[in-house]
Formats: sequence, structure tokens, C-alpha cells
Amino acid sequence: MKIKVMKFGGTSVATPEARGQAALRVVSAVEQGFSPVVVVSAIGRRGAPYATDTLIQVLKEIDPTVQPDARELDLMVACGEILSAVIFAHTLKTMGRPGRAFRGGQAGIRTDDVFGNARIVGINPVTLLRTLEQGVTPVVCGFQGVYLPDGNWLGGELTTLGRGGSDTTAAALGAALKAHSIEIFTDVEGVKTADPDYVPRAPTLRQVSYDEVAEIAHLGAKVLHPRAAEIANRFNIPLRVKSTFSSDPGTEVVRTADANKRGITGVTHSGKLVYLQFDFGDVEPDHLRQLESSVYAMMARYGLNLFMMNLSPQGIGFAVPREQYPTAKDLLDGLVIPLDGPTSVVYLFQIGQVPSREAETQAELLGPLGTIRTVRIELTEGCTMVSLIGAEYLARPGIFYQVLNGLASEQISVLQTSDSDLSLSCLIPESELSRCVAYLHDMFQLHQVG
Amino acid sequence: MDQANITIPLDLNGGRSELEFERPRGISHLEVRTGFAQLQVQEIPEPLLDHRLEVLRRLSESGISIDFLKFTQEGLSCVVAQEDAVRIQGALEGVPGRVSVLPDRSILLVHAVNMRDEEGLAARVVSLAIASGAPLEQIGDMHDRILIVTTAEGAVRIQSELEKSGEALAR
Repeated sequence: MKIKVMKFGGTSVATPEARGQAALRVVSAVEQGFSPVVVVSAIGRRGAPYATDTLIQVLKEIDPTVQPDARELDLMVACGEILSAVIFAHTLKTMGRPGRAFRGGQAGIRTDDVFGNARIVGINPVTLLRTLEQGVTPVVCGFQGVYLPDGNWLGGELTTLGRGGSDTTAAALGAALKAHSIEIFTDVEGVKTADPDYVPRAPTLRQVSYDEVAEIAHLGAKVLHPRAAEIANRFNIPLRVKSTFSSDPGTEVVRTADANKRGITGVTHSGKLVYLQFDFGDVEPDHLRQLESSVYAMMARYGLNLFMMNLSPQGIGFAVPREQYPTAKDLLDGLVIPLDGPTSVVYLFQIGQVPSREAETQAELLGPLGTIRTVRIELTEGCTMVSLIGAEYLARPGIFYQVLNGLASEQISVLQTSDSDLSLSCLIPESELSRCVAYLHDMFQLHQVG
Repeated sequence: MDQANITIPLDLNGGRSELEFERPRGISHLEVRTGFAQLQVQEIPEPLLDHRLEVLRRLSESGISIDFLKFTQEGLSCVVAQEDAVRIQGALEGVPGRVSVLPDRSILLVHAVNMRDEEGLAARVVSLAIASGAPLEQIGDMHDRILIVTTAEGAVRIQSELEKSGEALAR
């Protein structure tokens, strides 16, 4: 039995016409001798009646001040994929191909207990295999699984897999079923050298390595989730990303050793970030480490995700996601850290050049205690990260100079950089995003990549 | 249907017949890379951007490959291969700012797949690294790792601190 896992994203199942085209691909796979297992996302994207965000909004509208429980949220958002799977299975039936819808748990997908961001711990594919043996195409709800509190299927709790969960479902099912291949269908022709919104003629990469596609996905491209790339890589399952609506062959994902060699693979962008640069110029040398450690410990305690971290004797810096900035501001603006040692100092943190009411009030109240030193935090809102993806090329002498000098010549300011074996990222003002992506795409002649 | 290659697990409650798919949360492993020097150029006067670019241009023209570039308030820092360290002073002679090269540095890589899905993990690791008392020349992060430039001894101390705190999971 040649099993092919075929995953259809939200836009591929958004309308009856789209579902018809997706279902035709399934029927065609059967005619070619494959036994397809279909994985579907919720119908439509943000704003659509059954899209994940819409379902979350239904709960939040009851009382915006009360956060729904993660367990209840999972039950709610899972409805989107359940509807989608049932409708898709019935669409197949109307085309003469028997289909049967399965929730993640029914498909044997077992997860850990982290509602909203669960990880797959095991899959028992027996039900899916038996369904295939009966000549029926299973249609599995992406993005969901089941947590078994006592290791028993009775009383299992529905969980969701977090961002990109349907891709992860497809890849994991591919591994569990020892699939011949996995196909990720979306509304673009494959993995592009850049976001077509910024580079309209960005070519489709014909072949990328698992490592490259994981890096591209981690750094912003939404075409495939990195967890899916990692699973496919680990189990060595051929993976292809292609459009539901075109005959383009799409992008083949292969092992690194088999991938085409090229300099730069693509330009990605990700994140709406706020950059904070702490000025420790007035901090006693004896207090520096304690102060740094306290700030990071506080960020950790409140679950803030930090990007572009750096440190120097003059201070530390990091970016936080924009949605987490209010928490960071609450924690840091007006923060007081008294430190002992050869010199006792009370440090008062202040975001921006002008003290807020909180910081001003703290300064007044602390005045009688003696020495107060202000730690200023320079704030840069509206930042984002642009990344170049590549391998050996990024290790060449002069790559940083080439990129930064080029961006400077375009008057695009770079606040901070970070790099790894496969990528080089720059933190830039979001207002420059479009120009920056297009410029880097041109600089490395990515129009010629394919 | 050709069923020759199908193995249907009999254990319906899961367990031994199942595969493990995703890597565990948190830190998966630590890695130490040695043979580096840390370049710091501090007290660069204005115009800062032009002078930073001048430093990078000189390094580029000298064929010195750099990693881990970070802008600091009044300068920049980066890592170079130890064997390139001796060439740096010559390459950067006369550049505005105070140039220092710290030899025999290691990079400790704290690997954690999908780190940014684990709220606060990066901050927790850095906080512990600082608390270990090891000299930290620079820190950085990517989606799957935190990088810490330190000494060989510092890498051991940080590793020990992470293991003590339970952050470094058994492999």
C-alpha cells in the first residue's frame, strides 16, 4: 500500500470550488495507485466564519476581561477542523470516493497535556490503516490530538498543537503510517525566495533541504511549519509543498546532502517586535551581573520571549514581541532594585528619556533612602526581523559588511543582528520592511534562483 | 492493495508500538565549540554607523570571517577564529575606537528546539548563565539555540548551573 498524506490548508478548503479542486487531487492520487490520508485545516483564514480566530472571538466576546480556560479554548477551536473534515469527507463521497472524518484523537494522535501548544508523543495508526484497508479515505482533523490523563483512552482530553499544527499532524501521520510521501497543499506554488507580498515575482524554490525549509519556516515563511519539516527529516519522508490550484510541481524538500547547492536561499521576515536597550553606564561594576541576572530572571518568570539578546559592559538589550510589551513595560518601568556591597545603591528603571508617572512617583518616594541611580531603557517600537537564509555562503568573510553596508546605502537602519549556521537576521524598523526584503532579494539575485 | 509492508500495532492503548515524534520541550543538549577569539571595538565616536561599517570593511578586506556580530552601545563585538586573532590588530590599525581581542574563547550553544514556543525559556537560560558567575562576553539567540561566548572554564560552570537547575534535560 503506497500511502500518501495530503494536507490541505485553510484556503484550499475555504469554498465549495476550492474543496472540489482539493478533492479532485485526492481522487487523482487514488487513480495513480496511492492510498491517500487527508489532513485538513479549519475552513478559511482570519475572519472566515469557522476560522480558528473567529471561534476564539466567540468566547472572548462573552466578556473580554475574562480569559477563557486553555482546555475550553482547545475544545472551541477544534470545532473548525472537525467541520472542515466532515465537509471534506462528504465532498469526497459526492464525487464517488468514500471518505470518513476523524478527530485527531480518533486518528490515534496522542499528545502531552499542554493545552493550546501540545506536542505529539505517539500515534497509533491502527484505525487509519483499517479504514484504508476498507477502501475508504480517512480525512483527519489537523492541529489536534488527545491527552490521556491515565494512559487510558477513556476520558481523553482534546488538545491542540499550536501554530502550524495541521502541518505537524500531516508529517507525524506520514511517519506513523510509513507514508510514501507527504504533500502540503496551500494557495502558493511552493516555498518562495521571499514573501510575494513584498517581492511579487519571487521564484518558487524547486528544491530545498529539510534544514533550509525549517530555518525558512522558523524565520517567518508561513508555507510550512518547522515542526513538520523536523519530523519529515527525522523519518526521512519525501515532502512536497505545492498549490491546490495550479499544476506547478511546487517545492521538493530533500536531505541536505541531496539538495541543490546555492549561495543564499531566500529572504524571510518575522515578528512585530519592540526593542529595549538598557543603559548600565551608571551601574556600579560590582552590581552589574546582579542587575543583569535580575532583569533576565524577571523576564523569565513572566514568560516573556526574548529576541536579539546582547550584552556589553555598557548594558544589555533584547526585543520582545509587541503583544508582550505591555507586560514588559509593567515590569520594568518604575522597577526598583536595591543592591548592597561596597556601595549601597537603589536602582530605578525608567523606560524612555522622560519618566512616566510611575517612575516619577517611585523616585519621589525613594528619595529619603539615599543614592538613587536611574537605569534608562531606550525603547524602539515598531521593529521587525529580516533574515537571509543560506549555508556556507553566510560564513564567507565580508558577508556582514556586504549586507549592512548595502542597507546603510539604502538608509535602512539596522538596530541589531543575530546569526547562526544557516541564517543572518537584522532587526529593522517595520516601516522599512518592504524595501529591505526587496533590496536583499535583489542584492543576492534571488530572481535567478529556482 | 499491497499489504506486505503494513504492520498494524496490536496495542490499542498505545505504548510500545508507537513512535516518538517530537523532541521534548526545553533544553535538548549543550554543545561547546572552541577555538575562538572575541573581538570588541568600544568607544567608537560618532558617526557610529560609518565607523562600525569601517571596522567591518577592514575585516572583510583582510579576509577575516566573523560570527555573532552584535552592536553594542558605543561599538560592536564579534567572534573570529582563534587563528585570525593575530591578524586583527593589523587589520584594524587606526580605526576609531578601542580595539581589544580576547583569545581562547568558547561558544556554549544551548539547544532547545522551538525555543520561542516555550515562554521565558531564553531569559531563564541567560539568567542562570549570569548567575553561574562565568565570564560572559556576549549572548545571542536563534529559534533553536542560545549562544554564549565565554571561556572554556566558563562553559563548564554554566553547564553545571543549568544542570543543577534542571534546565538541561537528560539526553
